[in-house]
Amino acid sequence: MNFPAELQYSKSHEWVKMLDDATALVGITDFAQSELGDLVFINLPAEGDTVTKEEAFCDVESVKAVSDVMSPVTGVVAEVNEALLDAPEKLNEAPYEAWIAKISDITDREELLDAAAYEAFIAQQ
Amino acid sequence: MSELKRTQLYDVHVAAGATMVDFGGWEMPIKYPTDIVAEHLYTRHFCSLFDVSHMGRILVEGPECVAFLQHVLSSNVQALDLNQAQYAIIPTETGGAVDDAYLYRFEADRYLLVVNAANTDKDLAHLNEQIRAFDAKMTVITGDYAAIAVQGPKSKELLMILSGGEQITEPVKNALNTLSFEGHKVRVAKTGYTGEPIGYEVYIDSASAAWLWNRLVELGAKPAGLGARDTLRLEAGMPLYGHELGTDPDGKEIPVFAVSLARFAVSFSEQKGDFVGRAALAEQYAAFQRVMNRDFSDLSVLPRRIRPIALLGRGVMRAGMSIYRGEEKIGYVTSGTMVPYYTHEGEGLETVILEQSAMRAIGLAYIASDVLDEDRVEVDVRGRRVAAVIPPYHLRADAPPYARPILYAPDEEEAAAPAADRRPAALELLQKAAENHAWRQGRCVNLIPSEMTPSRAVRILSMSDPSFRYAEHKKVKSFYDADVFYYQGTKFIDQVERLLVEEMKDYLGCSEVETRVVSGQMSNMAVFSALMDFKNRLDRKHDMKRLGYVLNNHIIKGGHLSAQPMGALHDYIAIDPVTERHAVVNFPVCKDNIYKIDVEETKKVIDQYRPELIIFGKSMVLHREPVAAIRQFVDQEKIPTTIMYDMAHVLGLIGDHFQKPFQEGAEIVTGSTHKTFFGSQRGVIGVNYKKADLKYGLWETIESRAFPGSVSNHHLGTQLGLLMAAYEMNQYKDQYQKAVVENAKSFAKSLKAAGLEVAGDPAIGYTETHQVIVSVGYGAGPEVAERLERNNIVVNYQATPDEEGFTASGALRMGVNEMTRFGFDAAAFEELAGLMADCVLRGREVGEEVAKLRGRYQEMRYCFSDGEAEAALERLAKATGV
Repeated sequence: MNFPAELQYSKSHEWVKMLDDATALVGITDFAQSELGDLVFINLPAEGDTVTKEEAFCDVESVKAVSDVMSPVTGVVAEVNEALLDAPEKLNEAPYEAWIAKISDITDREELLDAAAYEAFIAQQ
Repeated sequence: MSELKRTQLYDVHVAAGATMVDFGGWEMPIKYPTDIVAEHLYTRHFCSLFDVSHMGRILVEGPECVAFLQHVLSSNVQALDLNQAQYAIIPTETGGAVDDAYLYRFEADRYLLVVNAANTDKDLAHLNEQIRAFDAKMTVITGDYAAIAVQGPKSKELLMILSGGEQITEPVKNALNTLSFEGHKVRVAKTGYTGEPIGYEVYIDSASAAWLWNRLVELGAKPAGLGARDTLRLEAGMPLYGHELGTDPDGKEIPVFAVSLARFAVSFSEQKGDFVGRAALAEQYAAFQRVMNRDFSDLSVLPRRIRPIALLGRGVMRAGMSIYRGEEKIGYVTSGTMVPYYTHEGEGLETVILEQSAMRAIGLAYIASDVLDEDRVEVDVRGRRVAAVIPPYHLRADAPPYARPILYAPDEEEAAAPAADRRPAALELLQKAAENHAWRQGRCVNLIPSEMTPSRAVRILSMSDPSFRYAEHKKVKSFYDADVFYYQGTKFIDQVERLLVEEMKDYLGCSEVETRVVSGQMSNMAVFSALMDFKNRLDRKHDMKRLGYVLNNHIIKGGHLSAQPMGALHDYIAIDPVTERHAVVNFPVCKDNIYKIDVEETKKVIDQYRPELIIFGKSMVLHREPVAAIRQFVDQEKIPTTIMYDMAHVLGLIGDHFQKPFQEGAEIVTGSTHKTFFGSQRGVIGVNYKKADLKYGLWETIESRAFPGSVSNHHLGTQLGLLMAAYEMNQYKDQYQKAVVENAKSFAKSLKAAGLEVAGDPAIGYTETHQVIVSVGYGAGPEVAERLERNNIVVNYQATPDEEGFTASGALRMGVNEMTRFGFDAAAFEELAGLMADCVLRGREVGEEVAKLRGRYQEMRYCFSDGEAEAALERLAKATGV
């Protein structure tokens, strides 16, 4: 399992890459994708959507089930990764490259973990 | 999870890293680390293993076990032969499903009922209620044997490694067998829940389960979990209890006839009598028939049906989602997900399955019965309306060894209209026809056993004046059976036909001949029609009774298509009320030579079924048919029957070097005149009845079923050509037939020596006919035949008696007849065998060498070619302008 040091992590298994103080890329962690199994579909948010920390902003579907992806931050969807629509398997193959959305105008964020803390958190799961 | 039950393979799953879940009270693998998508795809292109040991298995035995099963199952248990399985519903009294089940008959007097794991207790409670009235007993044997489903195109190949080359089962769905895998006794069923055309379920002692599983993994199979099992069955459109069978989300019972597959499992046979749910099911059946005839006036009994559904927009369907037609809610999704499939390119037999896979969102839906195939609907995908379509199916399994995904594509627009000026097309046609003729006649080695090049005389005669004319004629009793013609200008063809009849009587060795039938298939249809008419001749006030039983060669064992219910027998064969299948039974074949009829076993079959018609003859034929032995048997046992020999392929071999059907006791011979015979493409019927015989009336009926029954215009030109062919055959048959049989044996020997695998018995030189059969590897037939054609060798790929159908063909069927006519001898066939081996085994391009070989054999033999005959032919050619 991979935990890149430059990222921050939520307890609901999203990763956050802060681009500046108010902008971030958000995706799902390696642990999340391995728990979900083969992802076959992603229902992306729309650009301009307002997202709120600890609330669902997107969902991903495996063969067996639908799972919500929670937003680790409060802000506005500035951009979505449309390449995932045709290739949701990228979420499995390269979870830290397969960002889901770029969130801007971030006003709030949940308490995020660094790589070591997240790895320790996973170990307890 | 301590209270969960575990199968014999639990430890194997855990060791393989499977994700285990609770499934109907069992701790089962949902997936392995490979995951569902890869497991699904591996099943479709190679072979997967599924642990199905959790399925409830109930042994039913006792004096009244059949009566009990007839009472509690929807199917016709009495129709279940030994070593056959059938799908059945356990119906409720109200026409719903307690469960769906598979019934296996591995032993004559014991039945194995396999039910869904989660339903086993409920099923047993229901069945125990019912069994009280019967002298029968049930024993649950779920724990005694493990059950492993081995599914996918390579499954047969892998299992045959374990069986030491022995066939796993007959190559048909639902066949069973008991055999040994490397010393372990197994019971195998050609069944499955994946939609794969090649797939088995193997039952083995619990102690040996892990051995079999690991051995198959060693051979290349991979484990697959319940997740893939579900996506595979969904793609195959198979119902799952709790989704498509049982009750709907509103708690209402789903009628059995709502499910397409389930309805095939329902029998209203008289033998079955009353059974649980019969009245309700009969009402549903009537409603189903109305729906299928698009009468939607009363949908009260069957308001909704289970149908495939494919999403056209983005998203994934899930069970429970609502389906709309406009604003009307017409049903809901019963099962849905994304399933993977391999993409493909090319068309028809040339279709190539690519390594690239893709996903599609498909499902099954329980929707209004008035929805038609290809109708558009909308699915509420979590608040979004997404367009969807109702396709007829998601997957087809009729081109083995692969199950083929069927992607929804709207009907394409009609092809562009042809150009207004047809002249360029006409010129191009002439050019291409000339090229084709030059290729087939000049450069090509033609080995299709059912084809022949006729002599120049036959060809010119076939095109000369009587062709394109009419000469209808009929015997009239008032004129002492003189033939009366309806048109003028027919005196020449009248004479030709009389001469042809005499030549064919002489050739066949019989008393009467009909030559107006224009094909072998038509010959058979005229005979079957006449047999049925003759059977009913004393009662014209009721519908005619059809023929049954009929004894013939099974199509998979080389039987001729035109003697099958799907061919010429179609409109003339009865349905057996007990089995509810065509009243046809097949010649048993020898265990050590599947190309040969087993005479002693055949006698038992005749004794049991008392067939009213026995049809000898095959299209894949290496041996003489045992006509004399069977004639002797039916005469001795005084079994009333008619013995017919469909000599389509071997008509030109009648004589001392093959067999003489009428001398051996056949009453009727049919044939086509252009395979081993020298003729234009026609049919012929000969019978050996005398005027004083009761069955002379059958002969007269055959004549009237030829005309006016089958033809009005009987192709006078080719009839004229056929007379010349008959002269040629009667003049040269001794040399020709001897050369054909010798060449076939020698070609077979050369092919074997060149390294190819030749079918048949080496002790008799592999063949007693014009045919030679070569195995090229399971499913490889079409590709190898195409490669040979590119190299100027035209053969026909053929499924052997062990294979599932023509797309899985692993053999080439060849005939030496046409090339023998062009003078090919042992040396030429030896050279050809070497070139074929080079091309087939080593992929060498041999086209130019083949063309050169053919170039040395251009002159037609066994026809009149002296100076006088040549001069007469030139005069005819000039007169006709051909």
